[in-house]
Amino acid sequence: MLALDIRHLNKKYPTFELRDVSFQLEKGYIMGFIGANGAGKTTTIKSILNMLHLDSGEVHILGKNIAEHEIELKQEIGYAFGDIDFYTRSKMKKLTDVIKKFYTNWDDEIYYNYLRRFKLDENKKIVELSTGMKVKYSLALALSHGAKLLILDEPTSGLDPVARDDLLDIFQDLVVDGEISILFSTHITSDLEKCADFITFIENGQIIHSSEKDDFIASYRLLNGSESQLNQVKEQLISYKVNSFGFTGLVRSQDYDPSSGISATMPSLEEIMIYFAKKEDMYV
Amino acid sequence: MYNLVMKDLKLGVHPMFFVFPFLIGALMLIPGWIYFIVPLYFCWITIPNMFSNYRSQNDLLFTTMMPVTKKDMVRARVTVIVMLELLHIVIAMIYGVIMLWLFPNVNYYFFAPHMGFWGLCFVMLAIYNIIFFTMYYKTAYKHGQAAITSITVAMLFAGVIQWIGIQNSFVSNLFNGSGAHNVGLQTSILIAGIVIFIAFTLAACQMAYKRFLKVEI
Repeated sequence: MLALDIRHLNKKYPTFELRDVSFQLEKGYIMGFIGANGAGKTTTIKSILNMLHLDSGEVHILGKNIAEHEIELKQEIGYAFGDIDFYTRSKMKKLTDVIKKFYTNWDDEIYYNYLRRFKLDENKKIVELSTGMKVKYSLALALSHGAKLLILDEPTSGLDPVARDDLLDIFQDLVVDGEISILFSTHITSDLEKCADFITFIENGQIIHSSEKDDFIASYRLLNGSESQLNQVKEQLISYKVNSFGFTGLVRSQDYDPSSGISATMPSLEEIMIYFAKKEDMYV
Repeated sequence: MYNLVMKDLKLGVHPMFFVFPFLIGALMLIPGWIYFIVPLYFCWITIPNMFSNYRSQNDLLFTTMMPVTKKDMVRARVTVIVMLELLHIVIAMIYGVIMLWLFPNVNYYFFAPHMGFWGLCFVMLAIYNIIFFTMYYKTAYKHGQAAITSITVAMLFAGVIQWIGIQNSFVSNLFNGSGAHNVGLQTSILIAGIVIFIAFTLAACQMAYKRFLKVEI
């Protein structure tokens, strides 16, 4: 079953456009949603949560169209925004007391279990929490109302490596039972190398690639060669950088000819992102 | 809807704004003052402060994430404001009665706080509500222009009606002269004011909702 099914989203702004965005997330998996700042991650997430008026396209969550079943589906969605805070001067206890009233499946026992597990003191004010603790608090809220789909917008941005690793472990624990699915946007690609099952890459409002993580990486090669070799493959390269030793460029695996003698390595997610961003620049 | 009202009362509205009516209402004890100013304090102080708090605490996004309809979001917000408005007026009325009892022989230049005057205050708030809410919900976060416009029009209404009350002997007689002691007349003006307040506020709710539907968050 699909936890999230996004079909042909289009949304035009004066300076930015979301073009035919489609991707699917199977239930019980973690999908990393990557892209540079301003690539359209947050706009896509807002469309998922029915906060925007789309020009066209549909979003189905757990088999239901969000536009038609918004209230019902929001009972099943948990969210965390890494960089936005709400009612920061209130204590967690007070905020939780208000929030839990909105959810029919709220379970206090689960909530307190997560508070203990995440070492959160509910008498603290939101403003006193570290960035990592805020994300954990959002997770505790989401899980206590039985959210099946977690939508996390840059939850790991601004966290130290220890807190990030801790959070990634938590994400992996959550999906073990196959009930919970996570879509998490980030521009810190190393997080995804650790815990994502699927990767969706958005660049300039368009989905470049959405697939299983290993397939995603395997579908590209990073070429290293001399400047003379560059002319040989220039046409096939997504983009390239020239340095004193020659060039480095990204190519789709199907366009790479091993007999060309140019050495090729597996790129990291970060390298894929960078070379795609560079491609955009080249055509500007 | 009930949960949203409770959310606003617990998180959005600073407790100070529930104490305010008691403090500001005490201004009614000044004999012969321009009493229109008393409910206007609500528009000048409480509304801008409350709405800037909503904005700085990202209330719009916070509320949108909850399983609630946009219609309920508007209705709940209007309900909270109306509750505060009623609190202000009712407490000011009580102070007004005390003032009338303490100073029975005041020569009023401006409207005396009889029931008819409160009817006019309800009309003033009705005008305030319809302008403020419809303008505010164009964006659901920009409250400055909405507040300035609605306050200006409400004050203009109060100013003009007060000026007529001074210049026109019929109106003056209605509110401060012999009409002031005609309970039937005073009650009718008050009820008419309340009816206008209800009608305008309901219309404000409807228009605000229609505009809010178009808002992207």
